[in-house]
Amino acid sequence: MTHRFISHEKLSKLVADLVAANTRVIAPVHAHDDAEQIDYLPIQKLEDASLGVQLPRRSAKEFFLPTTEVILQYRCEKEGVKIEEVPSAAKPQVILGPSPCDVAGLEIVDKVMSWDYRDELWFGRREATTIVSLLCSMADATCFCTAVGLGPDSVRGSDAMLVPTAGGYVVRLITPKGEALFKNYVSDQVDALDARVDKAVAEARKRVEANMPAIPADFAASLERNFDHPLWKTMALRCHGCGACASVCPTCHCFDIVDEHDDSERGVRRRNWDSCQTARFTLHASGHNPRASQNERFRQRVEHKFSIYPSRFGEILCTGCGRCSRVCPGGMNLAEVVGEFRKLATAAPEGGAR
Amino acid sequence: MNLYQPHLMRICEITDETVDTRTMKLEFQDPAVAESFKFSAGQFGEYSVFGEGESTFCIASPATRKGYIECSFKATGKVTQALRRLDVGDTIGFRGPYGNHFPLDVMKGKNIVFIAGGIGLAPVRSVIWTVLDQRDQFNDVIIVYGARSVGDLVYKRELEEWSKRSDVKLVTTVDPGGETPEWKGMVARVPTAVEQAVTVVENTFAVICGPPIMIKFTLPVLAKLGFPEERIYTTLENRMKCGLGKCGRCNIGRTYVCKDGPVFTAAQIRQMPQEF
Repeated sequence: MTHRFISHEKLSKLVADLVAANTRVIAPVHAHDDAEQIDYLPIQKLEDASLGVQLPRRSAKEFFLPTTEVILQYRCEKEGVKIEEVPSAAKPQVILGPSPCDVAGLEIVDKVMSWDYRDELWFGRREATTIVSLLCSMADATCFCTAVGLGPDSVRGSDAMLVPTAGGYVVRLITPKGEALFKNYVSDQVDALDARVDKAVAEARKRVEANMPAIPADFAASLERNFDHPLWKTMALRCHGCGACASVCPTCHCFDIVDEHDDSERGVRRRNWDSCQTARFTLHASGHNPRASQNERFRQRVEHKFSIYPSRFGEILCTGCGRCSRVCPGGMNLAEVVGEFRKLATAAPEGGAR
Repeated sequence: MNLYQPHLMRICEITDETVDTRTMKLEFQDPAVAESFKFSAGQFGEYSVFGEGESTFCIASPATRKGYIECSFKATGKVTQALRRLDVGDTIGFRGPYGNHFPLDVMKGKNIVFIAGGIGLAPVRSVIWTVLDQRDQFNDVIIVYGARSVGDLVYKRELEEWSKRSDVKLVTTVDPGGETPEWKGMVARVPTAVEQAVTVVENTFAVICGPPIMIKFTLPVLAKLGFPEERIYTTLENRMKCGLGKCGRCNIGRTYVCKDGPVFTAAQIRQMPQEF
């Protein structure tokens, strides 16, 4: 990893040049509907961006797995059905200034998206995207990235990372893609991050670490052991089953496939975001529902993140961004849930009513 | 072509099995796909009616017969009801084959007891014909098939055919009250029929599919007869969308039914959280 310097002017020029070259540049900006909130949105110039102000409301996953996307187009004709090629939606894009937690989430989801069958819709966009993350100094009481092996300075999934410094940013160049992007815009080899940056990272880490200690490797096994623990039922009483947690999550990737057909002969098949928190997610046509109650559905989300995914893909399906706790209308808090089950990790398993 | 793009298939034959269950014989429109398509008994696919969506069923035809596949379905939900409105000559979509399959390789030279209830005969039928098409490679074949009533029995012509074969022992049964005056089979629930019909246990595998309640009460019977759980195979039918291990819908604990299944041993199922 090499360190270079980029001035605000040069970064501004880089954004302008990218936009002029028809590359979509996405950055955190003040939300159009709520000036106190931040969203990831396309920008035209660097001044549109609000870098490092606050964690955006939603993660950046929608630029890889859109809330809805056409996966098939067809025409029903007299002679039969004709399938039409869906033009590739993967266009060159740069994401500027996402939080390290959002970026790491993409690399974690890569694992399921490449499991035996490679999802080209996802990887097409992954490959067409250059990610320039921003060192995070926005941690609040809900964050717990350090507990899942990440941190405010984690470069996982980033092609380059910006670290604020006097007059601009230190650019940590991580991949050839990152190097290519900044090649003509950076100056001066910077040997290391300066002392102020080191101090800022250390402070940010300390703040997050105080929220939750690192999740131990045997946590997955203990969750599995406590599958029937009565705590699930008690905790899930607050869950409305709305799925807001999944929609803001950088790693929730469950989806639905539905057809949309108008009265004409044309139709499309879409892939839409879905959530294991809704009752219909697992509902059979017969009326049988394997996860019939909200506590089972709530447990599924936690198990998927901290037990199922680790056992299948070797890592936790959570980046500790804390969004699910921030948006929950029932005031549920994933950190608290994890905390409760950690207490049981060393205790003997307890069976009980489900 | 992305992962979710189906092959086009032409409906070439429709058979009504019961008042609400239908079998469709399907042929690939693309001759190259028809030529190269291969599957193993137990695998499933995503069948789609354009404009309505996709639905998951097993491939009900034998793996030994090329150039076509069959599916059997009950008109219950949006897609299956739409599928029922289609006619011979119409086009549907098919993605697959997905999932694992029954391990016929390890069953070679052994006896197989097939146990099915209602439309649960569909995946079992694929295995039965695959076995019968290579009959000399297997030992005794015993089929116990039951339904709520005579009218609910599917694949009636094939039941007739199997009953006439000397190399197959077929026992059909209907629940008490489901019989007709002409009914010549047993009047008993499937577990009872299994208890009476199954006499070989040594070197025998059991393949069982049907309603959960039937499976629940048949497993103890098989245990009593002396079947180890590792030699009892069944399928799980969780709701699926992608069929490819991506969409997250079919999880039972750490199991992805679409990738690890749909075929499991009773031993594997006992290890799972009871969420199916």
